[in-house]
This record gives sequence, C-alpha cells and structure tokens, in this order.
Amino acid sequence: MKFTTIGVKALDEHLGGGVQKGSTVLLMGTPGSGTEFFAKQFASAGEEAVTYFTSTERDEDVLSVMREYGWTTDMAIVNIGSKYYENVLAKKLEISRFRQEGITLADIRRFGEKDVHREENFLTFLSYEISKLDPPFRVVINSLDFFLENYDSAEVLMAMRTIKAHTQHSESVTLMTMLKGVHESRIQSSVEDLADVILELDREKIGHEFKKYMIVQKVRNRPVMVGIIPCSFDETGIKPS
Amino acid sequence: MAQTSAERGRCVTGVEGLDTVLYGGIPRSNTVLLTGSCGTGKTSLALEFLIHGAAKGENSLFLSVTEDAEKMLANIIPYNFFDDDFVKSGKLVFIDLPVMYERLGMTKAELTMEEIDLLVTAIVSLAKELDTKRLVIDSITSVCYKLKTSEKIRDFILKLSKSLSALDCTSILVSEVSTQSSTYSTFGVEEAISDGIVLMANMERRGDLLRTLQVIKMRGTMHSRAKYVLDLTPEGVLLVPLLKGGSTRA
Repeated sequence: MKFTTIGVKALDEHLGGGVQKGSTVLLMGTPGSGTEFFAKQFASAGEEAVTYFTSTERDEDVLSVMREYGWTTDMAIVNIGSKYYENVLAKKLEISRFRQEGITLADIRRFGEKDVHREENFLTFLSYEISKLDPPFRVVINSLDFFLENYDSAEVLMAMRTIKAHTQHSESVTLMTMLKGVHESRIQSSVEDLADVILELDREKIGHEFKKYMIVQKVRNRPVMVGIIPCSFDETGIKPS
Repeated sequence: MAQTSAERGRCVTGVEGLDTVLYGGIPRSNTVLLTGSCGTGKTSLALEFLIHGAAKGENSLFLSVTEDAEKMLANIIPYNFFDDDFVKSGKLVFIDLPVMYERLGMTKAELTMEEIDLLVTAIVSLAKELDTKRLVIDSITSVCYKLKTSEKIRDFILKLSKSLSALDCTSILVSEVSTQSSTYSTFGVEEAISDGIVLMANMERRGDLLRTLQVIKMRGTMHSRAKYVLDLTPEGVLLVPLLKGGSTRA
C-alpha cells in the first residue's frame, strides 16, 4: 500500500501510515473549527508539488499564517477569491454606480466598445487548472462552499468527480474543505459519498472550555479506521491531546 | 416647400421630399416609428435624418443595437453630405446599446421592470449630457426582444418618448417587420404608442423592386398619406410620387 501524509502525524498513525495515494479527502467543520488551519498544515506536508486554491483569503494571509507556524510555503497559490473579486464583485460595484448615476459618454468610451466579455466560470477554471498539474500533486481546495454558493450543485459535483478521478489516476492527493450543515443534506451526502476519506473537526463546550476532536468519519474500504481523536492546537499546529 | 404656420416647431428631416409630405418636417419632440421589412432603407433614412441634424448644428445620437457602430459609420461615409467633422466634434455620436446593457449589468435575456426604468434613465441622462436633439434607436425591435411582454414594451417606449420629448428631442425608432406582416410592428404595441408611423416597403413593378415610403400617421401635423417611391442616391434619399399610370397591377 502506498501512503502519503495528511500533515498531522498522529492522524497518519491512526490511519495506518497516512492516506492512500490517489485519495480525495473531504475536510468538514463548522465555522471556527479550524478547517482552514488544517488545510494549511496539509499543504506544508508531503513530497508532492503543492497547489493551494483559495476562495476566501488573500495570498499573503495564507503565507503569513504558514510562516508563523514555521511550515514550508513551497507551493503555488491560485487565488480564486481575488479573481472573483476582480471579475465579478468589482464589476457589480461598478454596475451599481452606473445604475445609480447613469452612464456618461466617457464611461461608454472608457473601456473601448469591444470589451463586452463574459463572466468567467470559476468551476471550469478550477478543473482546468488541476488538469494541467504534473502528477503527483497535492491540491487544496479551500473551499467547496464558494463553488456550491455560485454554481448549480450538479455542476459542482460533476467537477468534483472529474477532479477526484484525476487525483486517483495520477496517484496524487486532494483535500477539499466544506462547511458542515450549511448545504442541503442531499448535496452534502453526495460530496461525502464522493470522498475517499472524510475528516471532521469538531468541538464540545465543557464548562468554560472547548474540547476539540479530529473525527475520522470515513476511510474507503477501511471501516475499522473511523474514530475520534481528541486534539489541541499549539504553536506547531494540530496535535493529539 | 409648403411651410405652414403650424403652432409646433418642426424638426426638418432634410430628406428630399419627406419634409414636403409632412408639411415642413416632423413635429418637434415627436417619437416616430420607422417601420418596414429588411432592405427597405430604414437605416439609411434614419442616418440621413441624423446627419442633416448634425449639419444644422443639432446634436444627434445613434443608438445601434443590431449593427456595430463602427461598421455603421463606414457605411455612411460615401454620402456627399456627410462630413467627418460631425463625428469628431461630437455632433453625431454612435453608441452600441449592448455596451450600455453591459455597463448596467443587464446580461440576462429578459429585463425586469426595474431594469427598464434604469435603461430609460440611462439613455435619457446620456441624451441630456450630449444635449441630443435627434435620436435614433436601430432597432427598437431588438430592444423589444429583451423586454418580451407587451406591458414592458409599452412601459419602455412610453417612458422613453415622454422623457425625450421633455428634452425637446425628436426620435426615430426603427422597427423591423417581416415581409408578410399586416401590422406596423413585430409586437403590435410599438405602433399604438408612437406619435407617428412611417412605413417603408418593397414593391415589385415590371420586374423592378421599388422602395416605397408612406406616412401612415403623424401627430401634430397634416400629412400626405400617398405612397412615394424612394431612391437611395449618394445625395441621400430621394422621394418621388409613385406614378400610378403604366403599372400593370396596383
């Protein structure tokens, strides 16, 4: 069996040496549970070339957190969030201005009259970028929520299946994060079904403190491995407690 | 020319013959539907109306929906009465309406009522900025395809013509109808709410395909309702009465 690391040593041990090469890992959690943090720790590990797709943070935010923990930042960041801002949100802001104030001749002429361009499909962009990677690769998609909010769920699932198949055939590893309990249960179940490994970060309020857990929800064909690992966060990252 | 002492000022089209038919020109600030099937000369006539306006010092605006504004410009250069300076000095302005759709974020196939208001406001604010006295939309039919329902079309044309009229702007809405059509507009609504209808058509006579023009309705003036034959020449559109004698069929 060929394994690759998940980025957290204790979890690798629990899984019998890491996750199998070719796995697609789904990482779930409620807001504040540390999924983005886990994703960065995952990105700093392993032998593969790393590509980090983010829809929520700026590049410098990703890098500064990783440096703070002394993790290697040798990776490519593809910032879908800022592309989305430039292509869609900035445009929406401008449209609201035009709608409010009207358009002047200068506004019409400013861009040249030929730039009526289509909105980019970020889901297609994601699949395309992943299809270009040299295997074996280590990919982080943080987060699926962005795609599920912006595109039809059937399209998102199709793209995820494509990415999963590509990951599998190239013996690479892909980690995608998703908020728990915000999407329709049918969609969440479909994503869960597609993943080879499902991890969940959870916490429980006991007195004045949180007790935190890493939960292994699913390991394909290895039901014996599911379980709950109490954990804590310190200056090195996530650790079993 | 039969210049009557009409109470309303006239917007002299400058088209040879048409002003006579209209007893001096289109009553100022009217919105006129210029309708006909393809190849009948609607765009040429509308363009000529604008160029003559620019030559008289009236700011003219061409809102193009179907054709590229630059291509449009290339087509009119052969006219003898066209002068480059009209465009350079901003007397004659060409704008692609799809660019305005895009700026206003109207990328969906059908506009909402709110978006219709916004579009009218945007066109009117542009006409205000440019101090437009003559405006052409070529074609209103293409805009109507984005409006879909007759309520919306009615709403759009009424609001637009009212606002443009307040600016003392005379407008021509070019309307495309199919050859067999018995109405003057594709959606049927456009014709009912405009101040005037000018119908252009093709007529076959003795193996010739003649272009004809007929003023069906024009509020604010008397006009001839006879059918005229239209000639497109480098000097512009030429209107001559249709000679009935000699025709084999009416």
